[in-house]
Amino acid sequence: MTAFLPLVLHALAYGSILALAAQGEVIAERAGVINLGVEGLMALGAVMAVLAADASLSPWLGCLAALITGSAGALVLGLATVNGSANQTLCGVALTFLGLGLSAVLGHAVAGLPVSAIFGSWSVPGLSRLPGIGPVFIQSPFVYLAFIILPITCHCLLFRTRLGLSLRAVGENPAAADAVGIPVRRYRLWAVVTGGALAGLAGADMTLSVMPVWSEGMIAGRGWIAVALVIFCGYRPVFAAASALLFGLVMSLSFFGQAQGWPIAPAVLNMTPYLGTIMFMILPALVLPGMRRLMAAPAALGIPYFREER
Amino acid sequence: MSLSFSKGLTRRRLLAAAGCAGLPLRAGAATRFAPIAEEDLLVGFGHTSPVNDGGWTQMHDKAIRALKDHFPRMRSLYVESIPYSADATRIFRQFVAEGAQMVISTSDYGDFIKDVANQAPDVGFLECDGNNVTGNLGWYYITHWYASYVIGIAAARLSRNGRLGYIASFPTTSVIASANATLLGARSVNPEATMRVISINSWFDPQAAASAGAALIDSGCDFLCGIMDDPGYLRVAQERGVWAAMWNTDMRQFGPDAYVSSVMLDFVAYYRQTIEARIAGRWRPAGTFLTLGHGVDRDAWGARVPLAIQREADAARDRMLAGWSPFTGPIKDSKGQVRVPAGQTMTDMEIFHWNWQVEGVSGLV
Repeated sequence: MTAFLPLVLHALAYGSILALAAQGEVIAERAGVINLGVEGLMALGAVMAVLAADASLSPWLGCLAALITGSAGALVLGLATVNGSANQTLCGVALTFLGLGLSAVLGHAVAGLPVSAIFGSWSVPGLSRLPGIGPVFIQSPFVYLAFIILPITCHCLLFRTRLGLSLRAVGENPAAADAVGIPVRRYRLWAVVTGGALAGLAGADMTLSVMPVWSEGMIAGRGWIAVALVIFCGYRPVFAAASALLFGLVMSLSFFGQAQGWPIAPAVLNMTPYLGTIMFMILPALVLPGMRRLMAAPAALGIPYFREER
Repeated sequence: MSLSFSKGLTRRRLLAAAGCAGLPLRAGAATRFAPIAEEDLLVGFGHTSPVNDGGWTQMHDKAIRALKDHFPRMRSLYVESIPYSADATRIFRQFVAEGAQMVISTSDYGDFIKDVANQAPDVGFLECDGNNVTGNLGWYYITHWYASYVIGIAAARLSRNGRLGYIASFPTTSVIASANATLLGARSVNPEATMRVISINSWFDPQAAASAGAALIDSGCDFLCGIMDDPGYLRVAQERGVWAAMWNTDMRQFGPDAYVSSVMLDFVAYYRQTIEARIAGRWRPAGTFLTLGHGVDRDAWGARVPLAIQREADAARDRMLAGWSPFTGPIKDSKGQVRVPAGQTMTDMEIFHWNWQVEGVSGLV
């Protein structure tokens, strides 16, 4: 166990990034909007968190800046796709490119420099002193948020409240939802904005906790992996957090394997996260054919809603 | 990864082609680079990463800024973050179209720059880490392996268990030479020393470098070195209480207790001489190595490196400055085969093209 402890710690830290972004995407997709701008929103959140934390010397304000940036970016996407009924795929990809480019410009001056104010580790009283596995319970606030607070909150919100029922109805059958008086567009817009805020927060997790430095291209496809995880986890927040952890583990394997001298080429080990994405997409469908219906996407996912076509 | 692989192929093919052609210098090369007034000179610089990357490109940019003090009327332009693709050809062609008489690329662009050079025979081209010498294209590089060897000696003395960790970008010859030289230096004082390498597929990726550094420390290494433009793994070394040696520039502010030294680059003198020669009409395409003390050196030792260790490592540096080469046989590869027989010394060109890892290095090739 102790030999694998570094692997687990690394997986928790890197998995938390994916977990935050993926759960945000679950909320947006449950309402029927596919946000492909996660990668760009994460990049913007990451750079704004650094700039705000450097200026204010407070990681909390850095976090707030990332939340606001993520929300604002998603609001643009929401207005275009929900209110403007624009194509969600195109707008999402455009947002990704906008986010990546804009973050490179904004972060030019701070690239490679250490961030002035970052989050430390919080330990769980009692558990953190357990022999052997104690360090697992000394984590940054993002890890607790991503793996405990957010999955529980999102799950209860989506499946145990009227609000959640309405949100899912909007994603499954907006016409029916509209008929019973649910404001479809308002629900969709708020879901996208919430998802964007969490994507921004995932960026802040990277620069204010996991590795406190900004560099261009640092998101490195994690936003796309988060989008893939949402499909893999069947649009369920708890599964999203769990699969993010699994993915964090896969991503950590590359460094762990090379350091341990596994007889696998470094190039192959560096491919594991991307190979893993493909595997995780294919495997469930092959192993459990009945899963397909259970894990299906919301019926109205990606389709703009026009009241006139009801 | 695919980039470096195709680069390797290109380089090999180029070398073969150069070998067949016997590198004929075209007649008329002497008149081609006629003297030019300083105010008429336009020099284009092409960089592989941003000029504030904190490492390789920043050191080149620093030297280019210093040029402005010497040649205030010279005009220069630069493009940063040039990809290893046909875009590079387009950008170098743009320099020529702007009227540049000298084009200097601070990284190896192989065919992408050679094509442009062939089409603009009156423009002088220089490529750092390049391999081609034609009628108007030359290259320059630093013999960083001597500095790495000096740092390797300190590494073996500072490490408690003789296990060094190396954070590599790609398994290219420069990286192999750097890792090999460091371990050979270490083995000169501790024959049991070993080196574990992690490749992270980037020259500038603080996140990956830090993760790799942490993984190396977890696996028992207590001295980190590497070839990164950012201080990512130095910060990890500082946090975890192990030593670290860097590349490119003085990064001690990011880990003052962990910092040992750095392979320091200084292109100021070389760029000045090159521009002087071009203005005077003396510039000719050639391959140039910037030697120890003249473009590359170890950085001033870290605050916590004991004086005795500094002296021991510097003694080897003094010998190298006097002409001694530590890259003398027998040198075995990681499979135990003798690759450099006893008594034979590797030339700088052989070290520049080093493509096998020495005994004790694992995980690189």
